[in-house]
Amino acid sequence: MVNRKLVKALKFRYVLLAAVLIILAGGLVLIPKFEKHVGIAPELLLSNAISPERYISTDELADRIINNDPSVLLIDVRDAISYKENTLPNSINIPLENLLNEDFEGYLNQEAYDVILFSNDSFRANQAWIICNRLNYKRLHVLKGGINEWFNTIINPSQPTENMSKTAYDLYSFRKAASMFFGVKYIDQIKKPEPKKVYVAKKVTTTPKVVVPKKKKKKMPIEGGC
Amino acid sequence: MGLLTLINTIPYEWDNVLAIIIGLAFGFVLESSGFSSSRKLAGVFYGYDFAVLKVFFTAAVVAAIGLYYMDYLGFISVGQLYVHPTYLWGGIIGGAIMGVGFVAAGFCPGTAVTSAAIGKIDAMVYIGGIMIGVFIFAELYSLFQPLYEGSFLGNITVVDYFDLNPYWFIFILTIAAILAFILTDLIRKRVKKVFY
Repeated sequence: MVNRKLVKALKFRYVLLAAVLIILAGGLVLIPKFEKHVGIAPELLLSNAISPERYISTDELADRIINNDPSVLLIDVRDAISYKENTLPNSINIPLENLLNEDFEGYLNQEAYDVILFSNDSFRANQAWIICNRLNYKRLHVLKGGINEWFNTIINPSQPTENMSKTAYDLYSFRKAASMFFGVKYIDQIKKPEPKKVYVAKKVTTTPKVVVPKKKKKKMPIEGGC
Repeated sequence: MGLLTLINTIPYEWDNVLAIIIGLAFGFVLESSGFSSSRKLAGVFYGYDFAVLKVFFTAAVVAAIGLYYMDYLGFISVGQLYVHPTYLWGGIIGGAIMGVGFVAAGFCPGTAVTSAAIGKIDAMVYIGGIMIGVFIFAELYSLFQPLYEGSFLGNITVVDYFDLNPYWFIFILTIAAILAFILTDLIRKRVKKVFY
């Protein structure tokens, strides 16, 4: 009726179970350890990396700065010397080497501002972006092309040729206006104060000419302010 | 993270349903393994039945080993698990009070409910006692508050606090558990048997 061999074996069942527990726990000690993946899941990092939100173009950034967008937080990841030489207005200097410094964590690890990282080109800013992304910081962007691109498009925009489309001309005029906002002076704009002096003497004759420059005169004081 | 993300895919509204199902299963297992008997629970203190100690120690060791294997294989992340916050003196004094209640009545709160469910009157009285205790605590909360919220150590574990290697800690804990089982078995054999 009762399988005697089974009964004999089951006599040791507690010993066997204890042995299994010890072997499993010992295995936990003995298994080779490996460096655990720290930070967000690789898949998430990858999807963040290919997201179009990763980059912000210089035109978009210029537009947001000119419109006094309060949610923009510019972070210069170059070293302090380059930061002193030239940088974007109202930016904070966090050199890439000091990125994980606790003092700067408040700027990077937050959800109130759009953090825009930039360097001379996109390279160092992208490095900072990857590091901060792995730490699961939110709302991070890289200025596409960095300061070089900023200079080429906003500060010194290239004039479109005659065979280019209207959008190219619109873009150029936007960039030109933006560069004036950031303090660039164009020869055709500088001329205008001269007729202004004449303007006092001959009111009637020069009025039609002055109408156009007057608009631009309004922009000039803003330049000085910045 | 794999298993944890699977849990996250369950809609929030199902939480209570799952809680009831898990609770029913827990109560069923408690009752079917005899834990609704206050004599069995009190047996730990009198030395004739160590089932409670064995069950809880085995559960802790099995869960710890299982969790760390799953952590090793990447199914879950131990760092993401919820750790209950530690209030040191509140825990010590509250634990002592609960121990007195445990040995006096022969129930822990969970087993008291299962016993009440099978109609044991002493368990119902015990639950009434819990309610009175809760009431007293709530009424005198301002008196107990410094103890209740004091000596807060954060969401720590033994491994974090003493900076131990978790794998070695689990191994030593397992050995300790098995030694405890052997020792309690020896005690049980010497103590006069109680039939219940």
